[in-house]
Order: sequence, then C-alpha cells, then structure tokens
Amino acid sequence: MTVGTAVVNILVFPGFLFLVALGLAGEFVDRKLYARFQNRQGPPWFQPVADVLKLFGKEDVIPEEADRTTFNLAPVFALAAVVAASLYIPLWSATSLFPFDGDLIVVLYLLLIPTVCFFLGGWYSRSVFATLGAVRAITQVFAYEIPLFVALLAPSLLANSWSISKIAAYYAAHPWLWLVNLIGFGVALVSLLGKLERVPFDTPEAETEIVAGSFTEYSGRRLAFFRLAINCEAIVGASLIAAVFLPFGLGLAPWLGFLVYLGKVLLILGILALLRTLFARLRIDQMIDFCWKVVAPIAFLQVLINLVVRELI
Amino acid sequence: MPDKERIVRVPIGPQHPALKEPESFMVDLQGEKISAVTLRLGYNHRGIEKGCEERTYVQDVYLVERVCGICSHSHSTAFVQAVEEIAGLELPHRAAYIRTLIAELERVHSHLLWLGVAGHEIGFDTLLMYTWRDREQVMDLFAELTGNRVNYGINTVGGVRRDISPEQLPRILKVVDALEERTKYYIELAMTEETLAQRLSGVGKLSKEDAVLLGAVGPTARASGVDRDTRRDDPYAAYGELEFQVVTDDRCDVFGRAVVRLGELMQTYSMIRQLVRQMPEGPITVKAPLRIPAGEAVSRYEAPRGEDVHYVKANGTDKPERVKIRAPTLANTQSVAKMLEDGYLADLPIVVAAIDPCFSCTDRMIAVKTREDARTMGWEELVQYGVRWYRERGVDVSKIKMRGDSTA
Amino acid sequence: MSDAETVVAKLVAKFPSLTGRVNVQRATRVWVEVDRQAFAGVFHFLVKDLEFSNLCMITGLDEGADLGFIYHLARNGGLMANVKTRCTKGESMQTITPTFLGGGIYERELMDLFGARIAGLPEGRRYPLPDNWPKGEHPLLKDWRPREKGAQDA
Repeated sequence: MTVGTAVVNILVFPGFLFLVALGLAGEFVDRKLYARFQNRQGPPWFQPVADVLKLFGKEDVIPEEADRTTFNLAPVFALAAVVAASLYIPLWSATSLFPFDGDLIVVLYLLLIPTVCFFLGGWYSRSVFATLGAVRAITQVFAYEIPLFVALLAPSLLANSWSISKIAAYYAAHPWLWLVNLIGFGVALVSLLGKLERVPFDTPEAETEIVAGSFTEYSGRRLAFFRLAINCEAIVGASLIAAVFLPFGLGLAPWLGFLVYLGKVLLILGILALLRTLFARLRIDQMIDFCWKVVAPIAFLQVLINLVVRELI
Repeated sequence: MPDKERIVRVPIGPQHPALKEPESFMVDLQGEKISAVTLRLGYNHRGIEKGCEERTYVQDVYLVERVCGICSHSHSTAFVQAVEEIAGLELPHRAAYIRTLIAELERVHSHLLWLGVAGHEIGFDTLLMYTWRDREQVMDLFAELTGNRVNYGINTVGGVRRDISPEQLPRILKVVDALEERTKYYIELAMTEETLAQRLSGVGKLSKEDAVLLGAVGPTARASGVDRDTRRDDPYAAYGELEFQVVTDDRCDVFGRAVVRLGELMQTYSMIRQLVRQMPEGPITVKAPLRIPAGEAVSRYEAPRGEDVHYVKANGTDKPERVKIRAPTLANTQSVAKMLEDGYLADLPIVVAAIDPCFSCTDRMIAVKTREDARTMGWEELVQYGVRWYRERGVDVSKIKMRGDSTA
Repeated sequence: MSDAETVVAKLVAKFPSLTGRVNVQRATRVWVEVDRQAFAGVFHFLVKDLEFSNLCMITGLDEGADLGFIYHLARNGGLMANVKTRCTKGESMQTITPTFLGGGIYERELMDLFGARIAGLPEGRRYPLPDNWPKGEHPLLKDWRPREKGAQDA
C-alpha cells in the first residue's frame, strides 16, 4: 500500500468522507424511523445534510468565560477520534484497512474519546447547564463502558484474539457459533445507547432539565462537528457490533458484501431507533443502577458461557 | 451537610426548554439533589383585572377568555356566571347544557395535552406524539362546534352564542368513542410501562395534610386524597343533572396525578354522552341588560387544572367595579416547593408539569415598559390601526358593523 | 335548617356584634361583614370550628379612603363564606399565613397591586410585579394610570 492510496483511504474512502456520508444517512434513517414509530411524517432524506450545512453557515459564539482552546478543540478531537476508530473495523471484507493484534482495545479507547470531549467541551463552557451535562456524561461512562468492554471481550475469548479482523474471520469459519454471543449482542446494543446518549440514557443532554447539557453553549460549526461526531459514532459503533456479533457475508463479492454490511448497520440502527421510541428517560441514578445491577451481570454471564463453550469445543 | 461550597445554583427559567411559559425556579443543587427552590412568578402579568374595570361586561367576556389559551372556557364561564348572578338572570336550560358540553370537551383536550407534556418532560416523546395526535380530534370538534380551536367565544352574558345542531350530536359521540378507546390504551400503558412507572412513582410527594394546608386544588389535590370537586360540591351549569364520580387517589405522587387525570377523562366521556343524550330543546340565551345592577358575586368553576374562582362587583354601570380572578395554578404553585423537597433535578420538570401549570392564567397584570419604540394605543387608535393594517393588505373591514355596536 | 343558615346561626351566637351583618345570598354563599378588630376572631372561628378549610382567594377593593378585603373561604360540601373587612389605607392587616400557608401569595398580590400592608408575612419574593417596579405605584388603585411613554423608572 503506497502512501497515496493510504491517504485516499483515510480521507475519502472508506475513511472520513465516506463515514460522514454514512453518518448523515444513518441520522436520516434514525429520525425517519423514530418519526414513523411515533406516527409522524419525519424529515426528508436531505434534512441531516441541510442541518449540517446550515450550522456551518451560522454565527459562531464562544462564551467569554469559556476556555477558548479546549472549547474549540473538543469537537474536532471528537470527530477525529471516531474517524480514526473506523479505520480499524472491518466493514464488508474480513479485514479492516490497518489490522493489527489488539485493535479491538484501541477501537474501544478511541470510541471513548468523544465522550471525554463532550465532558471537556461542556466543563470548559463554564455554563451551569453545560457543567451539569458534562458531569452526567462522565458519570454515565462508568456505567455503560464496563458492560460494553465485557460484552466485546466475550467473543474474543472464543476467537482467542484481540484483533477484530481475526475475531470476524474466526466466526466466519465457525458459522453457527455467533449464536452463543446473542446475550453479548444485546448488552452491546444497550451500552451503545448510552454511548450515543439516546433515550432512555440521554440524561447528559436531557432537554427539559439541563437544556442541551454539554452542548448548551455550542453553536455554528462547532456544534456541527459534535453532531457529525455523534452520527459517525453511531455508524462506527454499529459497524463494530456488526463485525464482532454478526459475522456473516464476509467472503462475498465486494458489492454484495457491502450490501450485507449496510443491511447489518440498518438493522442495528433500527433497533436503536425502536428502543428510543419505547422508553422514557431514566434518571441518572436509575441509569447507573440499571447498568451495574442488570446489564453488567448479564455481560459477565456471557463471559462465563463463552469460557464454558471454549472448553467444550 | 449544608456545605455552601458544594451548592450549585441552577436557574430554571424564566426561559427554559422545560417551561412553556415564563416563570422562574432558582434551584440549589447538591450533586443531583435539590436542596432549595425559590419561586418567582409574575413574568406574564398582562393587566387583565385592571383592563376589565375599563371595559364593558360584553367586552370583558372576551378579555377574560384570553386569560388562558387552554382553559379559556373556564374563565369566561366563571365570569359570566358571576355577572348572571348579580343581574339575576336565569340561564336557559339548553344554554347550561351547551356550556357544560364545551367545558367537558375542554377538559378532554386539556388532560390529553397534559399527558403529552408529562411524557415529554420525562423524555418519553412517543407519548407526546400519540396523545397530541388524538387531541387533534377534540380540537377539530371545537372548530366545528364553536368556529375556533381555542378561545371558543361561545359564552355570553345570559347564555351561549351558538347552538348545536342535531347533526353535530352524533359527530360528538363518534369522537368520544374514539377517544375513549385511546384513553383505555393509555391507562393500560401507564399501568404496565416500566420506565414510566419508575419516573413517576414516588416522585413529587404531597401528603393530604400538606395539600390542604397549602391550598392545592383540582387533580393535584385529588391525587393526594383530598375529595374536592366543585362540579359536585357546588354544582353550576348542568352538572347538577349529571351522574359522575369524583376520581381521587391516595398515591400522593406524580403517578397518582396521572391516574386521577386519566380516570377523570373516562368520567368526562360518560358525562359528554349524558349531555348529548339529555340535551333539552329551547332558547340558548336570555336578554341581558347592558347595565348590570349594583351587587357582587363569587363564582366557582372546576377547570381542568382545578378550581377557578372569579369575584365580580358591579356598580350599576355597564362596566364592573372590580373583577378578581384566581386561576387554579396560583393555588397549586404553593405546593410545588413542598413537592420538590429532597427531589432530584431530573424530577423537577415532571413535578412542575404535574400540577399542569398555566402561568399565563396565574399572572394577569401588565409591566409598563419604557422602551424607546414601545407605545400605548387607545382602543380607537388600535381599531384604526387594525383597519389600516388590513386595508394595506387589500381587505376593507371598516364597513363591517358589529351587532349591538352603536359607536362604529 | 339549611347548611348556610346553621353557619349563620352559629356565627351570630358566638359573635353577637355580627347580627344583621351576615347575609345568605344563596344556598352556598354566605357573606359576613366584620370590623378589622374582630376579624381575626371571626376568621379563626370559621376556619377551626366551622371547618372552612379551603382559602379560595383574597380579593382587594379600593374603597376610596379604605382598602376592602374579602377572604373567600370554602368548605367541603360547597358552602362558601366570604368575609369582608376593611382598613384605612396605610394601616396594616395581620397575615393569615399561620392558618393558610399557601395564602401568602394572595397577600403579596394585595401588597403589590393595592399597596396593602400585611403584618407578619414571612420574607419572600414579591408577586406579581417586576423587581424594578417603581415604589409607591399600585396599579389596581382606582386613581392609578400607566405613566406616559418615556418616563424613567425610579
């Protein structure tokens, strides 16, 4: 791989631009489904694009009290981290762009950076709503991140590898073994809801309590960057879950593999939209209770199952 | 541990997404827990009481109707009842039925609206979308019956201004049937949905003793086990001839308030059916004098949010000497601080919403701004301005004569 | 004897000075007129002994040299007792918050809109006028008019 193709890969396809396009399409799917579930019309397909363009054209306000450097950099870092994470996830083929042993851990850490950026951006806005949102965001991390880690650890135990590409390849070679990981799949979805700060885990940006949480003081292109980061995070998160838990259609022709991949991401986005239609927002204490008392034990149960299965086969 | 350093003061309002109207809650937080709340009302005072003293009774009916957008019929009914009592007018039987019918339909739309708002406050937007879609049916019905979706303008001193035709009665029943189905579904939803129960149960506690002491009214009081309902206790309009139960609940929390409102909806459907079935024939209005003889009266009315009280004093002219309005929200705001004690910030929106606040109702007096471009217009000037405004857009309204309008 | 008449009889028996000043308007409306000195006793008797446990509102009236007050009380069963009293402008009334905690807001309203003086009212934010409202302006007094455009706040 030459430097030229690597740059194209990172910036255009399947890197930055492709991911942003997919992220905006994903937002449309989510909003349309959410609207239809609620008996509404929903937005036209170009609405997310229009929103981003409009935000880029808007006036940019930085609060006087805010720490300018952190306030400016947080959105860019959030987006950059998500794009970086996408490079290590196999999308439609069995391997990612730059696979190496242990990329699963790297991806998980890269996916943590946006949340840290939400916290930093909110904290250094110095607005009371943003501060509260920031604190809630970082509190929530401790609740959903552990179950997510454990849920993703379980399949890798069976595959005996920390590489996403190798995990995917292992399950492709043992077609029915993915059924073992169904519980982990559910746990990962729930944790992803928390990561994306969606109902019922949207306390960090609960509109009716703390306006927009961390994003209260953000406007214009910085807000657009944050929104793009969240959209891309949804796609990357869904891709990660798809690669680890739904490992079929990997050996197909590239275009067919791509369609299968889109199908998987759509399925996961659909489930996320459905979940956010069904529930009311939990209070932060209830959220943490739920994650630690229900989700985390279930995730550990998955690990236990996988350890037993590993001994059997 | 009252550690001053660790208290964060959060301003909820006067402008805040949780509040649909301006009011202000200064919330002192310790972590996520509320340690103190300071309430400030009055941002929406529009001078209606003063305005009433300077307008005729007929004009006042429409002014009072604009005290609130949701319970507009409540205020106009309470006002005309007081005036009718002073003037010694006997309300025609059919007019009483039509007034009651509109009042109960208003309760349907108000309670459905509340249910949606409550859903939104706890982040359950699906409930908001569903209930407000259903509510459209009542709104359309209002448009058909009165000509307006809000501010129906159906009351007048001595009766109602529009009759209900025999063809409209089945249409009302159809809407009621459809909504009853939906309400049953919401009741089932409220009883079974886990996150809903988690967010509503045990939140915003108000004991029966506190409810009485703080003067809570309406569903807020009834959900604390206070058995008070003006419709039964002091019947007005056609309520004396209807059969219904007063729904109370002893959960004393937000969930109880939701249960009471849903139960009231079911009672209301049955009342509307009785009204439609028993609708008497006859005139819909008696002639009311322009000058009301000197006297005073207090009128009570069970608005969807609670008891609405109007006091009118007449001095023998065509303008009242004094009009006093007590909207239910003013009575209920007193208990909000109690309900928020030791609660979570996350519960504040739903606790405030649970009294179904209507702060525009509560505030009625204007703040005279001294802005450069602000100007005061007299009635005549305002009429001229309106005529000019429409004429510039090609509509000439100056030729239209209003009935009973001798000055134009 | 109807509910209203029982209340009237009990009132007059307890306070002979009220004879002729209690009036039954209709089955659910009783009007009582009482001097400022006797007000507290009558009010307390109505609330504690006759169980008028619900304070509906307090109406203020501008009666020239006097300020009129009407305390609208109600009890279960629908009976309403309206207690009227008056004081000279500048004199103060005793607060009713020890009996009705929630009644403070009605008293504050009277203070802002009529310039009434209420003794013993706990500290709190004013209602309903804005914080920068000029002192001594009480909009519901009969001789009050909005000030001309351009006038500055005091």
